[in-house]
Amino acid sequence: MMNNDTKMIKVEHLSKSFGNLVVLKDINIEIQKGEIISIIGPSGTGKSTFLRCLNLLEKPTGGSIWIDDKEIMDPKNNANLLRQKMGMVFQNFNLFEHLSVLDNLTIGPIKLLNKTKPEAEEKARELLKLVGLASKEDAFPDELSGGQQQRVAIARCLSMDPEIILFDEPTSALDPTMVSEVLGVIRRLAADGMTMAIVTHEMKFARDLSTRILYMDEGIIYEEGTPEEIFERPQKEKTRAFIHRIRNYFYHIEHTDFDFYGMRSGLEAFCNKHFFNHTEINNLNLIIEETLQLCFREGDVEARNQIIRNTGGLDLTVEYSEQTKEITILFTADAKLQTIINQVADSDGISYIILQGMTKSIDEVIREGRVTLNLLMC
Amino acid sequence: MEITIDNIAEQTIINIKGRIDTATSPEFEKAIAPVIAGDMKDVIMECKDFEYISSTGLRLFLVLQKSANAKKGSLLIRNMNDDIKNVFNMTGFTALFKFE
Repeated sequence: MMNNDTKMIKVEHLSKSFGNLVVLKDINIEIQKGEIISIIGPSGTGKSTFLRCLNLLEKPTGGSIWIDDKEIMDPKNNANLLRQKMGMVFQNFNLFEHLSVLDNLTIGPIKLLNKTKPEAEEKARELLKLVGLASKEDAFPDELSGGQQQRVAIARCLSMDPEIILFDEPTSALDPTMVSEVLGVIRRLAADGMTMAIVTHEMKFARDLSTRILYMDEGIIYEEGTPEEIFERPQKEKTRAFIHRIRNYFYHIEHTDFDFYGMRSGLEAFCNKHFFNHTEINNLNLIIEETLQLCFREGDVEARNQIIRNTGGLDLTVEYSEQTKEITILFTADAKLQTIINQVADSDGISYIILQGMTKSIDEVIREGRVTLNLLMC
Repeated sequence: MEITIDNIAEQTIINIKGRIDTATSPEFEKAIAPVIAGDMKDVIMECKDFEYISSTGLRLFLVLQKSANAKKGSLLIRNMNDDIKNVFNMTGFTALFKFE
């Protein structure tokens, strides 16, 4: 646990709504000096809004933000001075188009930090060297590539001597060939010990560089942890789905006489969408069919169908991880059913042999009143 | 699924087109009933257009094989695709049938 001296930002119960749309529900976090925090999560979950609230580009609806133990929204405190401690790098660079690169870097320090022009220019040249653009000081933003403009934006941000830099998707507006040059500069800042909070979709980068990952969803920090914890062992369902880029096919089976063709055509569309090959489609169909065979047609069929019918049916989920390429088939039902794969003594065993042949693992657990069968396809 | 049965000389050729799964196996069972009930001895399953089989279909293949054995006839499976063959292999059915 870090001591209080290193605490830089504290956020308590931060909320933000736009009209009736609640974007941030309840954000609580402390950021310590030297931390590199990556904020990840699906689009539209408030990651950028959170950053914009931190430096009051958006006015929070509720909650409080403390910078160096001073409440930024307290009228007694000078919010502008406190905000100067935070630099921000935007997705679309936001450079002053009418100013040269050098002037983009000196205007802030001269006007807000009362630096002399030579002082500001000396620092600006140092920073341009740092981001690899020493030769571009006289260029105008529109003469530079996207990657170069973003590096200028980072240098401009540094020219204000921030204690922390907030990066709002710094590479998402860039051509893929230019992403690495910007990430390279951010890596360099990390090596120099700069405190940073980065909203990013670059998962490898977030994983390599960060000291902590925040996964945002549902307007809150849904899960947080070290890169290893979040990327290797995400605890919560939505984090797991996001990290492994899991795509789902869901079908609800009410009872034994369900719409088999409807289920199959939905499954086929899902398979085609994710470019499954012919054998994968075949094997997936077989796993589902043989599981249903064991579930509905073995043992005391009448009693089992009754339970399924009376307890809300059987849920089928096919999960496809775009990251690992793994296909997992899940069946869940009320725990009263006891087991999905109902193998009985007089069974010919063919269905189960097929399931074993087509899967890497078959696990069944009963938890919180539900029985779940998890089949990992070969 | 589409099943056509041709009797050519002493041979009965069952052409299977499409899938034999939970939904279509009753139809397949009905289609092969005359072959099982009749005195047709040498049966060829033409599988060129056969796309998919599940355990319900396998069980019916087994019924056909048993019927051929009982009549001291033969059952030959022709042109079966690799995915279906894989299902036969994994269930041990390959050893029970003759393939071409």
